[in-house]
Amino acid sequence: MLEVQNARRVFFPGQPDEKIALDGLDLKLASGDFAVVIGSNGAGKSTLLNAISGALRLDSGKVFINGRDVTAIPVHRRAVHVARVFQDPMKGTAATMTVAENMLLAELRHNPARLRRGLTKARRAFYAEQLSYLHLGMENRLDTVVSTLSGGQRQSLSLVMAVTGTPDILLLDEHTAALDPRTADLVMDATIRAVTALKLTTLMVTHNMKHAVDYGNRVVMLDSGRVRFELAGDEKKNATVAGLVSHFAVKTDRMLLGA
Amino acid sequence: MLELISHFWALVPVTIAQSLILSFVVLAIMIPFRILGFPDLTSEGAYPLGGAICAMALMAGLPAWSALLVAMAAGFLAGCATAFIHLRFRIHSLLAGILVMTMLYSVNLRLLGKSNQPVFNLRTIFSFLIDHGLSDIGAKIMVAGAIAVLAFLLLRLYFLTEKGTAMRAVGANPDMAEANGINVWTMTVGGVGLAGSFSALSGAIMVQSQGFADVNMGFGILINGLAALMIGEAVVGKQTVVRQLLAPFVGTLIYYQLISVCLVAGLPPGDLKLATGLFVLAMLAAPSLRGRGAPMARDTMRD
Ligand SMILES: Nc1ncnc2c1ncn2[C@@H]1O[C@H](COP(=O)(O)OP(=O)(O)OP(=O)(O)O)[C@@H](O)[C@H]1O
Ligand SMILES: [Mg+2]
Repeated sequence: MLEVQNARRVFFPGQPDEKIALDGLDLKLASGDFAVVIGSNGAGKSTLLNAISGALRLDSGKVFINGRDVTAIPVHRRAVHVARVFQDPMKGTAATMTVAENMLLAELRHNPARLRRGLTKARRAFYAEQLSYLHLGMENRLDTVVSTLSGGQRQSLSLVMAVTGTPDILLLDEHTAALDPRTADLVMDATIRAVTALKLTTLMVTHNMKHAVDYGNRVVMLDSGRVRFELAGDEKKNATVAGLVSHFAVKTDRMLLGA
Repeated sequence: MLELISHFWALVPVTIAQSLILSFVVLAIMIPFRILGFPDLTSEGAYPLGGAICAMALMAGLPAWSALLVAMAAGFLAGCATAFIHLRFRIHSLLAGILVMTMLYSVNLRLLGKSNQPVFNLRTIFSFLIDHGLSDIGAKIMVAGAIAVLAFLLLRLYFLTEKGTAMRAVGANPDMAEANGINVWTMTVGGVGLAGSFSALSGAIMVQSQGFADVNMGFGILINGLAALMIGEAVVGKQTVVRQLLAPFVGTLIYYQLISVCLVAGLPPGDLKLATGLFVLAMLAAPSLRGRGAPMARDTMRD
């Protein structure tokens, strides 16, 4: 369960370029909800995700995860609950380390690091199995240094890393936007399979209205740091691309054609 | 020519002993620079700090091995101070290191009471082997070599643990490390502290080896260490943790033999710093001259 209460964050307060990124935003997700977050550039989508992960401090307002107030808890201690895939494939992985080492780091999220052997045989086998679900042959590349993987492979790895240990909240910030269309589809496919199989409570930011229509059980549209509207239940099931696009003041090809 | 070679040959054991002792400084430069992505200058102050603390401890009657441990503890604090200044006040790591190093000069002078403090005629970590018939140089090579092997094995073991992997992640991608539950602060402070303790260890062993501590004994150690590290990385590589850990030791052994060759061949000692500096510059510049850009050097220097 995730709840954001009256979240407010202003950048450069009192200055000419003052920017209200979150303006008293409220949001509530039940366990297992898969919400697709849409909204124009600068609407506050990334800022909202940063506030939930703890990467960004709120000026006021609160964040609750499973009923617990985590507003003051730093990123590394929130990591037990929150996993994240960024838009930039470079951000979610340690480039100079191997695939297996990265998988180990992901495991440390819910299993704090101790002074015991890291990459055991058992772990390597487990990682190979998890990676095999991607159907990218990554299970045979456990000792490959991540910087030599393609963007799509890296992003797929980030995804597997994010869903290991079944996080309470999964945050996806335009995580397929930097990939070519075919790879983006592969990663999106893997995402949907993982989220459905593990029943993850998910917030997925996208500019692709087709994704918003096809995936998830809720749509949340942000505008100027607030929730402009939400769709759930049958309303969500019956949503159309044209219907969603009509809420945007500025329409781009990207919404229709996908990122 | 033959005379020069025999002259150089006669110096080989002394040079090996010296490089084994100094290999810990090179290790101390490598850990922040390569593993934590934290370019650091603390070693230039932590090395004489270790020497001064060791001299004080010996004169206070502490056993030679305990003196090393006390020196390492002091070096650990010096490293922690640099990391803390960087993290807490958002001061560039290089500047933080310069601050700590400069302040340590005064601390070291206070500790020693004068610029040079002899510690002759006290029992050292080498005494035991010398008592048992080993030569002075032989004892130094054995003891320093044993500590080097021990340090290498312990670090290798550490970097294969979960904690060690987490520490490497902090250097590789701090944001990602944090998002995976790793406390970047404690890892950085601990890692730079660890490096500081190795610098101090080096200074402490050097003081026991040469029989005196000197406030100026760290002067230029950093650039020598960097040169040694670059040579080591060129020889053994840095693709794996084991290679990266081996590089400082191998590099130091080669570097000081090269210096010895230069000196025997007649290079004025005063020109060594210029030569070493040019060498490090050439090594750092090589990737960008080859047109591939210099990602490592540039990225780590930027923030
Ligand atoms: N670190 C920051 N410093 C200053 N301003 C920021 C910062 N982060 C975000 N902002 C501002 O806050 C507002 C919301 O930004 P945010 O990144 O959340 O938008 P977004 O909805 O993710 O947009 P996009 O679709 O372009 O990713 C923007 O006006 C942005 O300029
Ligand atoms: Mg964004």
